[in-house]
Amino acid sequence: MVHDMVSENAVIVFGRRGCCMSHVVKRLLLGLGVNPAVYEVEEKDEEGVARELEAIGGGGDNNKVQFPAVFIGGKLFGGLDRIMATHISGELVPILKQAGALWL
Amino acid sequence: MNSPTSHFVPPRRMGVYDPIHQISMWEENFRSNVSLSASTLLIDDAEIKFDNQSEYASHGIPGTSKQYDQEANRLADKIQRRLAQNREAARKSRLRKKAYVQQLESCRVKLMQLEQEVDHAKQQGLHIGGTGLGSNSLGFAASLNSGIANFEMEYGRWLEERNRHTLALRNALSSHMGDVELGELVDGTMNHYFKLFGMKSAAAKADAFYVMSGMWKSSAERFFFWIGGFRPSEILKILVPRIETMTEQQRSDISNLGKSCQQAEDALSQGMDKLQQMVSESVAAGQLEEQTNTPNMSTAMERLAALVSFVNQADHLRQETLLQMSRILTKRQAARWLLALGEYFQRLQALSSFWANRPSKPAECLIP
Repeated sequence: MVHDMVSENAVIVFGRRGCCMSHVVKRLLLGLGVNPAVYEVEEKDEEGVARELEAIGGGGDNNKVQFPAVFIGGKLFGGLDRIMATHISGELVPILKQAGALWL
Repeated sequence: MNSPTSHFVPPRRMGVYDPIHQISMWEENFRSNVSLSASTLLIDDAEIKFDNQSEYASHGIPGTSKQYDQEANRLADKIQRRLAQNREAARKSRLRKKAYVQQLESCRVKLMQLEQEVDHAKQQGLHIGGTGLGSNSLGFAASLNSGIANFEMEYGRWLEERNRHTLALRNALSSHMGDVELGELVDGTMNHYFKLFGMKSAAAKADAFYVMSGMWKSSAERFFFWIGGFRPSEILKILVPRIETMTEQQRSDISNLGKSCQQAEDALSQGMDKLQQMVSESVAAGQLEEQTNTPNMSTAMERLAALVSFVNQADHLRQETLLQMSRILTKRQAARWLLALGEYFQRLQALSSFWANRPSKPAECLIP
């Protein structure tokens, strides 16, 4: 189910229910003109979902999933830190366009 | 040696008639009664002993009782003199001690007055010792939390270092320093800002409210506060015009940077709004007429924990903005930009001082 969601959506945000940082990620993407899919994880499911997402992410040290976690183009992109950093450096928008999340 | 006659009367004590024994007893008396320095006493003792010995040595066995009386009298005089000197010395010592204690007391009173003045000045948002720390809960917050106390101390030092960097940049630019050296200065200044973000992160763990309140900053800086510090897009708007001679590409890049900052700031602000909403909901949950409901408090507390993340994310944004500026600008331009940044914050602190010292309103003069 989680696997399907990741592959079917250009951008999807996995976050804890009621988490304010997830809200920040969502608002930022919306502000850019992206309409991200959002999956709210219940506290009891957190560990399970995290492990599933790590399996999808595809190896590597930076594969550890922390919520909120953003997948772009079917691949694990990172958390709020990476979103912020790449947005400020100007790299985020091209990546989103390439994944088909943005048309402009 | 024969025992002396009863002519020989010791000034203080009746005891054994042996004169040498008497004198040694009196010496012991001196030692216990007098507070003179030990060296003087020893010399005195030695003198007495010497006198004793020389007198008895030169005269051999004490001769006639008259001779003996004369010597005893001389000895008694010496002893009397010694005692009088000791009393005088003790008296002077007591007077000195009294004077010293009085001095301590008046210093203590003065110190209390100064502390009150400092507290009052802090409430006005003044600089204290040039650190720029102006807040009325400075000492109060520090006393409650060692993490915060630590931060305040470190921040004072950080400010001094920041001022040194600013001065160094100014000198470097006016002296036309080489690019390599200038680059090192720029990197050093940037790293110094990053150091502050690390300090703030630790302080936020200790007390996120404190960092959010900006109580550790001057009042004018607090006026512009946004999630624990300066707002990156504002800084760009104000200070970029100060960097002369930029290429079109640079202007365009900086314009994009400003937009990105604004978007990131908006997202964080909206996140903060959500957090406020959630906390107030959990505090207000249940009948408000009820007594403090512990379960709600724990929910509110859990939610408030997110405040630390907000401080960290806002600082992360500030850091990324500074980094991106350093990528867009040349070393020389970056030096100018960082100089402008440091100067701007210094002026805000100066503004806080001027504000705190502004003349009082006319109405206050009417109060008797």
